[in-house]
Amino acid sequence: MRPKALDRPLGLLRSRRARLLVLLSVVGPGIITGTVDNDATGITGYALAGSQFGYDLLWLLIVTAVCLAVIQEMVARMGTITGKGLSDLIRERFGVAPTVWVMILLFIANAATTVAEFAGIAGAAQLLFGDFARYIAIPVSAFFVWFLVLRGSFRVVERILLTLALVFISYIVSAFLAHPKWGDVIHHTVVPTFHASAPFLLIFITIVGTTITPWMAFFQQSNVADKGLNPKDLWFERIDTYTGILALNLVAFFIIVATGATIFVHHIPVDPSDPSAFAKIALGLKPLAGQFAEQLFAIGLLTASLMGASVLPLSTTYAITEAFGFERGIDKSFGEAPAFLTIYTTMIVLGAGIALFPDAPLALITNLPNIVNGMLLPLLLPILIVLASDKRIMGRYANTRLFNVASGAVFVFLSLVTLAFLASIFFPGLFRG
Amino acid sequence: MTEPFPRVTGVILKSNRKVRSLDWSVVRSWDNKELSLKVDEPSVQPHARADSELWLSRQILDKQIVDMDGRRVVRVNDLQLSQVDGSMLLVGVDIGGRGLARRIGLEGIGRRLASTFGIDWPQKLISWEAVDPVKSDVSSVKLRIAHTKLAKLHPADIADIVNELSPEDRNAVFAALDDEKAADTLEEIDEPQMQASILERLDVERASDILEAMAPDEVADLLADMPRERAQLLLQKMEEDEAEDVEELLAYREDTAGGLMTTEYVAVLHTLTAAQAIDRLRQLEPNAESVYYVYVVDEEEHLLGVLSLRDLIVAKPETKIRDFMIKNVISVGVDAGPRDVAEVTSKYNLLAVPVVDQHNRIQGIVTVDDVMERVMPGRTGGRRRRIF
Repeated sequence: MRPKALDRPLGLLRSRRARLLVLLSVVGPGIITGTVDNDATGITGYALAGSQFGYDLLWLLIVTAVCLAVIQEMVARMGTITGKGLSDLIRERFGVAPTVWVMILLFIANAATTVAEFAGIAGAAQLLFGDFARYIAIPVSAFFVWFLVLRGSFRVVERILLTLALVFISYIVSAFLAHPKWGDVIHHTVVPTFHASAPFLLIFITIVGTTITPWMAFFQQSNVADKGLNPKDLWFERIDTYTGILALNLVAFFIIVATGATIFVHHIPVDPSDPSAFAKIALGLKPLAGQFAEQLFAIGLLTASLMGASVLPLSTTYAITEAFGFERGIDKSFGEAPAFLTIYTTMIVLGAGIALFPDAPLALITNLPNIVNGMLLPLLLPILIVLASDKRIMGRYANTRLFNVASGAVFVFLSLVTLAFLASIFFPGLFRG
Repeated sequence: MTEPFPRVTGVILKSNRKVRSLDWSVVRSWDNKELSLKVDEPSVQPHARADSELWLSRQILDKQIVDMDGRRVVRVNDLQLSQVDGSMLLVGVDIGGRGLARRIGLEGIGRRLASTFGIDWPQKLISWEAVDPVKSDVSSVKLRIAHTKLAKLHPADIADIVNELSPEDRNAVFAALDDEKAADTLEEIDEPQMQASILERLDVERASDILEAMAPDEVADLLADMPRERAQLLLQKMEEDEAEDVEELLAYREDTAGGLMTTEYVAVLHTLTAAQAIDRLRQLEPNAESVYYVYVVDEEEHLLGVLSLRDLIVAKPETKIRDFMIKNVISVGVDAGPRDVAEVTSKYNLLAVPVVDQHNRIQGIVTVDDVMERVMPGRTGGRRRRIF
């Protein structure tokens, strides 16, 4: 007589929510983080690498992928096990003073990156509609980002942007159409090449800095913590993390191949501080889009920039309010959450304002945060390692000794990169010739 | 504990990378800057820390606590200790920016700045009495008792607080609530994902006890969001009739009257007299939500009519209820959409509408708040949303 629901799978009965859950579980925090990492700075960084040094830096992508896998797995694990954000843990483990420093550095790095995202928007607008367009595009998108996220539809924004991110497939197609010498490509992917010159070192740290960033660690852990995953979901969260990294690096790989097979082989010099740099980088898409290469590149750049511009201010604000216990929330009035709204609005206004400056060297601005981020990482990584190895915090999910050999190696690598870069600035003679 | 404020029982001494805990009895005096001991370093007696004691720097400072007066979760920026008869008492915690500034040595500068501009820079202190430490070690009995403070809040406030906590702390809170309160709190948490994640971390027995105390429609919504095995296990552990109600509801699609309805309603046989019907109500002890209407059914549960409580009370005790019930009762089918249900309730000004199957047998009722929540999401609850 009575309907026995249990004869049927429970999840499928209440169909709407079930479908939503499947979607959520496929696009997890790791994939979102990986996709957002291909922001304005990423696209520009990889394109510059391919344009200036051809395939020489492809091998570095494997190195950064490994570094990322180590770092992001740690934060994903911490988020899953503790259910807390990274700044929560830093505050609780290290106290106020270290937290203040970390937050100041994070704010500076992320503000610089936000400027870069808006510069990316400006660059895209210039390519699409001409020089003056940036003065309209920047305020409009700043308002768009501010408004949409505050109205609480970050999830909607996220979905739209993830879908738009499919535009990066065009790089894969373009790379194939450019008929690169695949033998060379594979050779350079497997065999490291290194030039002891300042420009090479600059691009080297740029790639490292754009791929592995402090904000990603904070963003992914908050994201994981907010999802309320349980320890038994850890395997899922790991797969999600690695998938995100793989997707991120595939796009990076094909951007370098596409630009390497076009701009580099035709010896077109690209100088990031030159106003026409974006237009030159866009040539990497010529095999696919022909005369519309600039437009296609602009659309990709716009997508990437909007993605970063929506995520960075939000993630930074979230981290800071979390660390200091300020009231946070997107559905609150100014009176209820003054700190949250002030920091959030400041970041957007600051980012958009600086990018609005007339004659700002856009490609240079987009590239600058990569260097800041690249140098900040050796400072953040030890903190991550200490937290993830702490048995009181992580219980039996703490880092194993073997894992810390790997994370230690990542730390040494990142520190060496930073030291080499600092040396190249202070002793320019060192890397000449 | 009869004292309102906890007494400091020991201090931690760090020297030469060695960490030792000393009993408070060796402290000679202390002020803002330093603390002096009666004995010299090598001869100090270690303090054996009891489980019920709090390690302030580790368990309270920089941690989240629940501010009972403000009914929110805050972070402890500093501790307020005071001297009473030679002992040190923890009288409150600092949750404001000034405490934060003090920790990084900027309080003086900040104060000078504030007075230059003529601004008042108040301390934000909460008395320890109004504090509930959320983080509890399993062995810490005292903290569990402290949680009873939390249990006195309204479930909606507890839900707000729980929302801000990490899963582990959430569990500590739920451990301190009785089943009824836990059930009410769980119902107040609007997000099914979080409800499910809380239940998944509780042990099965406890989880099923809480579920039994919840309205069956809420339980059905919740179980639908859980992995199948876990949901089945919980259903098995629940009492049979409660579980049966939930199973019935689970058979309906979520976006229909069947999926919205609850099986907690009051139905009486048409053959009863008014007095018998009132007796029956006493037996059933219906909860507030389901007592709006008394439905009248025959032996096969066919819906015949409806009565209000008022009708029952003013009727002569010996009258048969079928003689004064309202016969043309408004109802909806189990497959009706939420909008149809909403329309019916607003058109006829109903607080709840009965749901019937194709043979006009009553299956449950949809209350007006349940349907409104579906048709106008976000208007009713107002719980804070997650950001990511």
